[in-house]
Amino acid sequence: MNRTQRFGYGVASIATLLAIWYAGGITYPEVLPGLPETVDSLVTVLTTPGPYDHMFYFHVWKTIEMLFASLIVSMILGTLLGIALGRSETLESTISTWIYAWLAIPSLVIVFISAIWIGFNASSGFFAVPVVITPFVALNMWEGARNLDSDLAEMAEFFGADRVQMFTDIIVPQLAPFLFASFRSALSIGWKITLLVEAFLLTRGVGFMFRRYFDQYDLPTMMSWLIIFVVFLIVVEYGVLAPLHERVMRWRPDAEGVRVTE
Amino acid sequence: MMMAAEERSVSSETTGETLELRDIVKHYPRPGQGRIQVLDEVDLDVESGAFVSLLGPSGCGKTTLMNVISGLVEPTEGTMRRGGRDVTPNDLSLGYIFQEPRLLDWKTVAGNIEFALEARDVPESEWDERVTRYLEMVNLDTEGDNYPTRLSGGMKQRVAIARALAIEPEIILMDEPFSSLDEITARDLRQELLDIWQREQKTILFVTHDINEAVFLSDYLYMMNSNGKMFARRNIGIDRPRQYDDPEIAQREAELYREFHEHVVE
Ligand SMILES: Nc1ncnc2c1ncn2[C@@H]1O[C@H](COP(=O)(O)OP(=O)(O)O)[C@@H](O)[C@H]1O
Ligand SMILES: [Mg+2]
Repeated sequence: MNRTQRFGYGVASIATLLAIWYAGGITYPEVLPGLPETVDSLVTVLTTPGPYDHMFYFHVWKTIEMLFASLIVSMILGTLLGIALGRSETLESTISTWIYAWLAIPSLVIVFISAIWIGFNASSGFFAVPVVITPFVALNMWEGARNLDSDLAEMAEFFGADRVQMFTDIIVPQLAPFLFASFRSALSIGWKITLLVEAFLLTRGVGFMFRRYFDQYDLPTMMSWLIIFVVFLIVVEYGVLAPLHERVMRWRPDAEGVRVTE
Repeated sequence: MMMAAEERSVSSETTGETLELRDIVKHYPRPGQGRIQVLDEVDLDVESGAFVSLLGPSGCGKTTLMNVISGLVEPTEGTMRRGGRDVTPNDLSLGYIFQEPRLLDWKTVAGNIEFALEARDVPESEWDERVTRYLEMVNLDTEGDNYPTRLSGGMKQRVAIARALAIEPEIILMDEPFSSLDEITARDLRQELLDIWQREQKTILFVTHDINEAVFLSDYLYMMNSNGKMFARRNIGIDRPRQYDDPEIAQREAELYREFHEHVVE
């Protein structure tokens, strides 16, 4: 499928969704906010002035700030933990059970405990979100580290590669697909936890907006905030992650322009 | 064991001498009970400029022996000598072609060769020239910018050969390099290898389990049994260039096969 075709199908699927939404909003107005009402409240949300020029900038920015700060912390900690687990059998047998136990703790419990420990402020979020997503990253990177090719390490050792070359040319490229997978799952889990924190503990951010309009039974405005953030996440995926992934994985045989000779 | 390139001092006084392996023993601990003996007092001479083959059944310890010579594996006992003095792998100028190409799929063909040049601390100013020279030598001069994942098995192994040659070693270790290729590709590569060996005056130690391959390629060969014991050294004694369909090759192969069979299947 070429680019134009793919774009065409993308547009068609969005149009279909909007049509179903429009029809659904008329048929079951108590379940689905009407499309026109939602557009109205979306415009209201987008044009309301506030800090940072527009009110929605402020709240979206606060959510992004908590989400991405947590992602950075979790990617670093999770990667270190995962690699340590994948490289050391002693570590693997002593703490792998704890990773699964950690994964089994409901995120809501972590959020509530953070609030009790730290208080009803943003620090709780900056603590709770990394605590929730780090084990997912660790699990992924653990898998990646377990699958490192020892033949390649031996080859590099024979030629006399130093630590830097070993790391940048042998280890990182093998871990790259796992880094992308980790980041994507951390992003999708992390944003849900960030909303939870904002809805329960804070008075700013997209999560707080949900809570506020939930309290007012204002479904169209809640929908508007959802749309804003989903659009943001789609932009991150298609604008940043996908092109970056494609670039890093350029060497893969299933990339475009495959030419197997002989 | 990291072999830092700066510690690698190739003592030129001993180049040209025969590399002598004496009483090489290698044990591996067996989980639970005792140990496995992989190499049993192996003696082997690699004469300078010779094409030497090491023939043995799978699992007899051929790769282990190559790894001992290359320094990747520490022998339990034994010495390597050259010109009357003990040498370590760091004293030798070695290239290694593994059974699998072991290329970095995320680097281009040229990038793979540069990886080895960088690891060996070859000045960056020489890279282009070496990459071009050795890719030409293995007939891959147009593939420098291509990725290994887009090459056939035979071409990948050529890249591995170019990578080993690019560090300009004196002795090249080759561990069953053609065993996973189809016979037609393998024959082409064997012929090219012989051309390179003669033109560049390299010394080659070639591991195989294929008697025909060993007879076609070598000046002399060693035979090893399943217990890691070297039981014979035999000269091939057939003039070069050799032809695959030469009856002399078939006859020598039959003789050696008989001897090999007697020792290996008891
Ligand atoms: N690191 C190791 N630990 C334990 N046993 C090993 C190790 N490496 C090789 N062996 C054993 O040594 C024997 C010889 O292996 P290898 O040298 O690879 O044989 P070949 O190359 O002749 O097929 C095999 O039985 C193998 O299982
Ligand atoms: Mg082997």
